[in-house]
Amino acid sequence: MLTKEQKMKLYTNLVRVRKLDEIMVKGVLSGKVCGHWSSQKGQEAVGVGATTFLRKDDYIFFCHRGHGITTVIPKGISPRAFIAEHFSKNSGACQGMGCLHVADMEYGAPGLSGSLGGDFVLAAGMGIAAKMRAKGQVVVCIQGDGTYGRGTFHEAALMAANWKLPIVWGVENNQYMVFTPTSDIFPKENMADLAFGYGMPGVVVDGQDVVAVFEAFQTAIERARAGEGPSLIECKTYRIEPHTYGMVDKRCAGLRSPEEIEPWVKKDPVNLFQERLLKEGVLTQADVDRIDREAIEEMEEAERFATESPAPDPQILKQVLYWK
Amino acid sequence: MREIKFVQAIIEALEEEMTRDETVFIIGLNVQADPILTPVRLVEKFGTKRLREVPIAEPGILGCGVGAALAGYRPIVHSRFVDFFMPAADELFHKAAKWRYIHGGKVTIPVTFLAGIGGYLGGGGPEHSQCLEGYIMHTPGLKLAIPTTPYDLKGLLKTAIRDNNPTVVLYHRILVGAGTSGLVPEEEYTIPFGQADIKREGKDVTVVATGLMVFMTLQVADQLQEKGLDVEVLDPRTLEPLDIETILSSVKKTHRLVIVDEDTLRCSVGAEIGMQFMEKGFDYLDAPIKRVGAANSPIPGGFMECYALPQPQDIADAITEVLGIKESFQVKPLELLKPGRHMGERLGYGKKEN
Ligand SMILES: Cc1ncc(C[n+]2csc(CCOP(=O)(O)OP(=O)(O)O)c2C)c(N)n1
Ligand SMILES: [Mg+2]
Repeated sequence: MLTKEQKMKLYTNLVRVRKLDEIMVKGVLSGKVCGHWSSQKGQEAVGVGATTFLRKDDYIFFCHRGHGITTVIPKGISPRAFIAEHFSKNSGACQGMGCLHVADMEYGAPGLSGSLGGDFVLAAGMGIAAKMRAKGQVVVCIQGDGTYGRGTFHEAALMAANWKLPIVWGVENNQYMVFTPTSDIFPKENMADLAFGYGMPGVVVDGQDVVAVFEAFQTAIERARAGEGPSLIECKTYRIEPHTYGMVDKRCAGLRSPEEIEPWVKKDPVNLFQERLLKEGVLTQADVDRIDREAIEEMEEAERFATESPAPDPQILKQVLYWK
Repeated sequence: MREIKFVQAIIEALEEEMTRDETVFIIGLNVQADPILTPVRLVEKFGTKRLREVPIAEPGILGCGVGAALAGYRPIVHSRFVDFFMPAADELFHKAAKWRYIHGGKVTIPVTFLAGIGGYLGGGGPEHSQCLEGYIMHTPGLKLAIPTTPYDLKGLLKTAIRDNNPTVVLYHRILVGAGTSGLVPEEEYTIPFGQADIKREGKDVTVVATGLMVFMTLQVADQLQEKGLDVEVLDPRTLEPLDIETILSSVKKTHRLVIVDEDTLRCSVGAEIGMQFMEKGFDYLDAPIKRVGAANSPIPGGFMECYALPQPQDIADAITEVLGIKESFQVKPLELLKPGRHMGERLGYGKKEN
């Protein structure tokens, strides 16, 4: 059972991540973010539920969508470092070199694979390291439904199962890969079924319900820490925004209909949790307003910090290729 | 002749070849929806069996291309990002490139790999900004075209589809995304591999350029003309086979050679062209060859990419250097590369385009 403080923390992280997403959209529109933004709006409960209570020394891999906001922010990377990285500033998490590729090993976040599916096998390797170090660390690797098409998942899942590596595989199933519905690509309804070939638990959870996500990950994480090996958790959610911000929104050859999106807008994970906490008496309306205000202040301050930071010195290009 | 965009040139080549030959089909991510490949009309005309949607599974996608080709079909494997051919290195560099040879010529692999190359996406980052023609040209067994106008793209793509060898056709993402257009005849035509094209005649210096660099060099050349420099711009169009003869005869006239390609400088296509030239044409040169290319590093993300990728000023400076001109002539940045436009738009996925 979650304590009141834990529930508050989950809720606060949901709100923080949502506000950060909004800042990133503004950044793309104003041209401060050079590149693109794949909004994770409406899917925040997955990453937030899975990672808010991880240990600092646990390892995480995350979806390309949101470039990790729903996991790296709960894990501890500062919004300042996240935004500054996207603005190509020297105060960014990767000194302005990565842009969408945000990493910080202090928080167990080694990066984002541009070629999707590259993370699975690296997660297996980090699982080996975690197991050999024997300090009870786990690896949480959450990837999009489409990304689970990669054969690298098979290779990584096989090794993880065989060696009982402390890994939790998460599927953030938002039902789309760019313009293609995932149901056109996968023969079965539940991707969690992938788990059974490797003899690991496979469960399906409601990805809009942050508590359900938390509980499923908690069970799997405890199992992994106890040396019993990997699990797979499929979180059912939905992508309400286009694939990347400003991009045409298609479903196969046609356009995606607003009627398809609408029911999912109603299942907004932030609103759902807020209503529940208000009803349970965990939150008052005054708390809701305060958390909102604080999150906005935090993100706006981070944006100012990023805007005012200097661009990296081009000399850095010659300094980071090799360890010196 | 009529003016059409790159997108239209690709679609026309695909539609004509799919109509002509029932064994031609397309396989790749989002092929049924990709605005650059498939207007709804194509999906309706050929059906989803011949426009095959796939999982994110590049070894599977490229492998299916090779396998279907072994069994008598003519698949076209498409990827917006040539970068994602890397996970399928076995299928591309081993199976497609080597299987005919190692089986004594007993198997035929008429597959076409069609992919977008290049950086300047503004925030593409190192795994979405590459030009892999160096790797591909390095590998015997793969024919390689890198067209830079709608005319060349259509003609070379049609030739590639009909070729009985594994063939790679690379278009530049920026040229396609920016909606660049060019003259293309109404009637059917193909362009043979191995014929370079002089995109601009000049007598002072030869610039051999590939991909987006052709476009960039042409704009630089026009600006240098105002300073009285007469630049010849030569586009090899195919790298395997490479038309070294046309390069030799151009330099025989100009006596100076600059090679511009967007790939990482070390072991690049430019390095190979330069060395092949040196073996045959050293005596024509009045100055050492100069190369322009990407820095020997990954392409950094965000705004930082401009420090690693070749810029018009680098090309202008290389030209003045081989001509022994001490002064640096300032040239404008490439028009197409407006900063602040988001990456989807640069790729041609903006709302307008549809
Ligand atoms: C190996 C590889 N192939 C293709 C792509 C292009 N690509 C980028 S995002 C994406 C869709 C990913 O789908 P999913 O994993 O479901 O994540 P979502 O976008 O739905 O969040 C694709 C195909 C890529 N980045 N890497
Ligand atoms: Mg998805």
